[in-house]
Amino acid sequence: MSTINFAGREINCKIVYYGPGMSGKTTNLKHVFSRVPDHLRGEMVSLATEDERTLFFDFLPLDLGSVQGFKTRFHLYTVPGQVFYNASRKLILRGVDGIVFVADSAPNRLRANAESMRNLRENLLEHGLDIRTIPMVLQVNKRDIEGALPTAMIRAVIDPKSELNLIEAVAHQGQGVFETLKAVSKMVLERLSQPSQAQ
Amino acid sequence: MIEPSLALYGELFEQVEQHLDELLAATGVRYCLLVDRKGFVLSHKEALWAPRPPALDSIATLVASNAAATGALANMLGESTFSEQIHQGEQGVLYVESVGSNALLTMIFDSSVPIGRVKVYAKKTIAAVSGLLQTLQDAPPVAFDQNFSVSANALLDDLLG
Repeated sequence: MSTINFAGREINCKIVYYGPGMSGKTTNLKHVFSRVPDHLRGEMVSLATEDERTLFFDFLPLDLGSVQGFKTRFHLYTVPGQVFYNASRKLILRGVDGIVFVADSAPNRLRANAESMRNLRENLLEHGLDIRTIPMVLQVNKRDIEGALPTAMIRAVIDPKSELNLIEAVAHQGQGVFETLKAVSKMVLERLSQPSQAQ
Repeated sequence: MIEPSLALYGELFEQVEQHLDELLAATGVRYCLLVDRKGFVLSHKEALWAPRPPALDSIATLVASNAAATGALANMLGESTFSEQIHQGEQGVLYVESVGSNALLTMIFDSSVPIGRVKVYAKKTIAAVSGLLQTLQDAPPVAFDQNFSVSANALLDDLLG
């Protein structure tokens, strides 16, 4: 759970953007980086291949400000979406406080969405975590593409019990990006106010 | 929970800082960080003469990720862990060593600093600090009241609209 440094008066929370390859995880972070005032964000670190596919992760620290005297900071990560980078994905989930699952609306990516969610569930289980216990938001991205699948169909394969907060997005235009981040951040911070969850 | 959180405070935090100060003085390194395995900076000290350090958040994240990847490599090669990592450049050195199972001691120094000396003093510091971190197991649970999330939500509204 969140790392709390009482002496330094800091709370740090880790939010991971998960989802299939090319679904728009890095685009989400790039938009946040480009729109948040300089003094509230740190450097964006991207460990990517030459063709800009995420190799290990992208990272962006974001300062919320001071809450009850505690400097509160979110560390945003993306995972590499391509199937063969599972070892990296597993490592990045270490210590996760909240997850944004970025689903792809393209008609040919329904199976990739489902497989990525199953992979997330399995990787969390390997860390001893139940997916139902982690604050999570479902972002259905690329709503602007031709032939975009209905959100209901995407939800049916990823979240059949309709338990997740679903937000539609067009990340390359910034649509739904902040809304998604805000939703997951609120869930993470609310857990800090629940004594049994705080450690 | 994937791993325990670290909540450093009070005398414990001061003791950790003192050990890092002593390490700086004894070795002549530029920067010394205690980083948790999730990539958050728990404590940071720099020599008085050192220039302003690079982005600590990024360093901590990369150090922790690198340590996790190195640990995974160790397991694949039949080792339980590779406890230290040394990255040597033309000008400087990055030295990382495990502090128990929860943290990493990270030191950045000029190539002119004898690495043997750094290792000897680092091991002494690690022995002391890992003992202190063990006591965190008995720390009281951390709790924030409902006002915390109300205040946090207001800030989120300001930042993200």
